[in-house]
Amino acid sequence: MRIELDLRGLYCPMPVLRTREEMEKASVGDVIVVTADDPAAEEDLKRWAKRAGHEVIDVKREGETISVSIKKLG
Amino acid sequence: MNSKDLDRNNLEESNKKAKRILYIQTSGVDTPERLYAPFILAMTARAMGVEASIFFMIKGITALKQGVAEGIKIGNFPALKEVMDQAVKAGVKLYACAQSCELLNMPRTDLVSYATVAGAATVNDLVLDADATLCF
Repeated sequence: MRIELDLRGLYCPMPVLRTREEMEKASVGDVIVVTADDPAAEEDLKRWAKRAGHEVIDVKREGETISVSIKKLG
Repeated sequence: MNSKDLDRNNLEESNKKAKRILYIQTSGVDTPERLYAPFILAMTARAMGVEASIFFMIKGITALKQGVAEGIKIGNFPALKEVMDQAVKAGVKLYACAQSCELLNMPRTDLVSYATVAGAATVNDLVLDADATLCF
């Protein structure tokens, strides 16, 4: 399942904390697409995902907004 | 293979992986004497085959404002910008805390382009990955 999570307007550490909450509810194999305009979000989400054992499968940037797609692995 | 050989193999394996040092800079342009050390230590770490990163947070980000390092020069040291450039050239990675810009009312667009903008998860990750962390 693909889950859209719009976190525009939220700043560090909220994008990571909200993504984690959503990931807890998701099932293994689900992909959460996080959209954020926090300038720290890309680096933070990539590092959080790796440490939490999930996989970043896509990163898209459009101006100030980034979309990070994270697949739940376990 | 006996246990001694195994121990030696494990030791050689761990020596192959580059060590990492993280420097955290919280001091800013109001204490210019504190700004040089992380760059000098980090570029020396690179010369020692050690991966080195500097994370600038709180007042530390004031040293990453475009045009600022050019104007800082104390004692017989070269301009801070010169040392900063040498460190970047040596492969030292620079990170700037986005929320510290908000804290100090500094537009994020004023930051030098060669620093990666990052946040809390990145600091924690860098600290956990580092073999040692030094704070200035």
